[in-house]
Amino acid sequence: MDIAVGTLLDRIIIVAYFAIVMGFGAYFGRYSKTTSDYFFGGRRFAWWLITISIVATGVGSHSFLKYSTKAYQYGLSSTMTYMNDWFFVPLFMFGWLPIIYYMRIKSIPEYFERRFNSSARYLATFMTLIFMIGYIAIQFLTLATVLYRIFGIPLMATVIIIAIATTIYMHFGGQTSVIFTDLFQGLILIFAGLLLFYLGIQFLGDQTSLPGFRAFWMNLTPEEKLPLAHFNRPPDFNFVGIFWQDGIAGSVGFLFLNQGLIMRFMAARSVNDGRKAVAFNTLIVLPISAVVVSNAGWIGRAIANVAPATFPVDMAANDVFVAVTNVVSSPGVFGFIIAALCAALMSTSDTLVNASSAIIVNDIYKPLSKKKHDDAKQLEFARWTSLGVKVIAVIMVPFFNSFDSIYEANGWFHSTFTPPLAVGVFMGIFWKRFTTPAIIATFIGGAFLMILGQANPEMITPFAHGIELRPDRGYSYIGALYNIVVCAGVGIIVTLFTKPESDKKLKGLTIFDAAKLKEIYKGSKPNESSGNPVTVEWKLSKTNDNTICFSKNDMQTMSANAGDLVYIQDARWWYGGLKSAHATFGEPHDEDGTVYISSLQLDHGQFIEGLQLKAEKEM
Amino acid sequence: MDFERTWLPFLYLYGVGGIVFTLGMILILKTKALRLNFKRHKKWLWLLLYGFIFWSSLHATFIILALRSQ
Repeated sequence: MDIAVGTLLDRIIIVAYFAIVMGFGAYFGRYSKTTSDYFFGGRRFAWWLITISIVATGVGSHSFLKYSTKAYQYGLSSTMTYMNDWFFVPLFMFGWLPIIYYMRIKSIPEYFERRFNSSARYLATFMTLIFMIGYIAIQFLTLATVLYRIFGIPLMATVIIIAIATTIYMHFGGQTSVIFTDLFQGLILIFAGLLLFYLGIQFLGDQTSLPGFRAFWMNLTPEEKLPLAHFNRPPDFNFVGIFWQDGIAGSVGFLFLNQGLIMRFMAARSVNDGRKAVAFNTLIVLPISAVVVSNAGWIGRAIANVAPATFPVDMAANDVFVAVTNVVSSPGVFGFIIAALCAALMSTSDTLVNASSAIIVNDIYKPLSKKKHDDAKQLEFARWTSLGVKVIAVIMVPFFNSFDSIYEANGWFHSTFTPPLAVGVFMGIFWKRFTTPAIIATFIGGAFLMILGQANPEMITPFAHGIELRPDRGYSYIGALYNIVVCAGVGIIVTLFTKPESDKKLKGLTIFDAAKLKEIYKGSKPNESSGNPVTVEWKLSKTNDNTICFSKNDMQTMSANAGDLVYIQDARWWYGGLKSAHATFGEPHDEDGTVYISSLQLDHGQFIEGLQLKAEKEM
Repeated sequence: MDFERTWLPFLYLYGVGGIVFTLGMILILKTKALRLNFKRHKKWLWLLLYGFIFWSSLHATFIILALRSQ
C-alpha cells in the first residue's frame, strides 16, 4: 500500500514542534539544582500537573499504532487494556504510594535492598534496566518508522536525530523539564487524537445520509461494538489471555514497578496529591486516552464497512493509523497529528531515560562508588548517564527491528521481565512473612521455570482456559498466568521453609506499617488536626536553616505547631507548585500575614519579590 | 452472539478482578492504611467503591448497547 508522505507544510509543522519542545524543556532546566530536583522534581507539584504528565508517559508512540491496529481488526474491544486497572488502585493508593513517598525510596531496586538485601537489589537493577532501555529503543524505532517515510532520511539516522532532540532538554532539565514538557505534550496528543476522531466522524457523515456519530455507530457490527473480546478466541486477541497479561501482570507492573511512574508520584507535593492524580487519571483520563489511541482504527473499520473502496484491498491493519489520518485530514492537519505522535514518543522516552538514569545513579553509582561525591558531582553524573542510556538504546534499535512487529517486540518484553519483579514487589509489600531467600528464588527459580514454559508450551496448557495452542508459536498472552503462578509458587514454598525477617528490618516497608509511615517520615508524632491554608507576604530571615516563621494567628488558622511540616508555594495556582518549598514551622512571631523564609527556601522556591505565597500545614 | 462473546468476559473480569479489589480493600482497612476516622479517608473509601461501580457499569452499558443493535 502507498503510505502518505505529507506535504512541505506537514514537514515544517513537525520540525517546528520539535524546536518548541526543546526550548520549552531547556527553559525549565533552571529549576533543577540538586539530584532530588533532577530526578523527583523536588516533591512539589500539584496533582493536576502530575496527572497530565502521566498521560503523556502512558501513551507511547507505539500506542497509536498498536491500538488502532487492534481497533481496526476487532472494534471497541481494543480499549480493554485501558480499562482494567481499577482493581489494584486501593493497594496502590494506600499501600505502595505512602511507602515509597514517606520512606523516601528513590528506586524500585532500592526498595528490594531495604526490604531484602543487596543481592535482590542487583538482580532487580539488572532486570529493570534492561527492560527500560529496551523500551526506549522500541519507542525510538516506532517513531523513526513513521518519520523516515515523511522526511526520506534513513531509519537509523532518524533514530539518532530523535535521540539528540530529547537529549537537549533532558540533559539540563531532568524531571522538572520532563514534567513540564509532558504537560504540553500530553495536551497536544489528547487534542490531536480527539481531532482525528472528530474529522473521522465528519468524514463518515459525508459518506452516508446519517448524521456523523450515528453514521459511525451504525456502521460498526454488533460484535465490533462489544467492549470486551471473545473469552478465549482467537489466539492473538482474546479476553482471558489479555486479562492475565495486562489486567493483572501489566497493572502490577505499571503501578508498582514502573520507575518513571513512581518518580512522577515522588514529584507530587504530597501523598494526597498523588492519590488525586491516580484517581483522576484512572477514572477520567484513561477512558479519553483509550479513545485517543484507538479511534483511527474504529473510524477505519466503519469506513471499510460503509465504503470499502476508500482503502486499498491489500492494506495491512498496521497501516490503518496513517491511512485514516491521510483520508480524513488536510495538509497541515496531517503534520499536526504526526507531531502528536512525536509528542507521544518524546514524552514516554524522556520519562524512561530519566528513570534509567535515576536507577544507574542510585543503584549502581552510589552503592559501588568508594569515594563520597557531593550532590553537584552526582547531578553531573546523572546528566551524562541519561546521555549514555540513549546511546545504548540507539544501539539496541536494530535488534528490535528484527522482530516481526513492534507489537511482538513489546509483548516479548512484558512476558519476559514483568512477572518475577511483579510477584517479588507485590509479595514484599503485602506479605510480611515473605523472606530474602524467597525473593532470590523467585527471580532465579521463577525465571528458570518461565524459560522452561516458553520452550515447552504444553506446560502452560493447564492454565490456557481453552485458548488454542498454535504450532511453533506457543501461547501469546496466557503465558503470563503460568509465569505468575510459577514465580509466586517458588516464592511461597521457599518462604515457608525459611526464617522470617525481624520487624525492625521491615519497619515502614510493608503495608502493615502504613499507619506509622507519617511518624517515620516526620520524625515525631504527626499533627492530624485540620486547618486552613493562609496567604501571606514574605520577608527574608537571617537564618539559613529549614524553618520558616509565621505569626501566632496564622499558625492557629493552619492549626500548626512549631516543628510541624509546612508546604509553601507561589499563590498563583496555575504554577502547579513549580515555585514552592517544603519546610518546618519555626517559633511564631506577631506580624500577621507575613512569613519569614531563609535564603535556602528562596533559592529552592524561586519566589518573586512582592508576590504573595500560600502556605498549608502538611502534618 | 454466544455467552462466551458477550457476558462471560464481563463476569470473569469483575469476578476475578472483584476478588482482587475486595481483598485489597479488606487489607487497607485491616492494616489501618485507610482510616475511617479521618474525614478525608472516608471520601477516598467512597471514591474507591464508586470507581469499581463506574467501570463495571460502563462495560455493562456497552454490552447492552451492542446486544440491542443486533
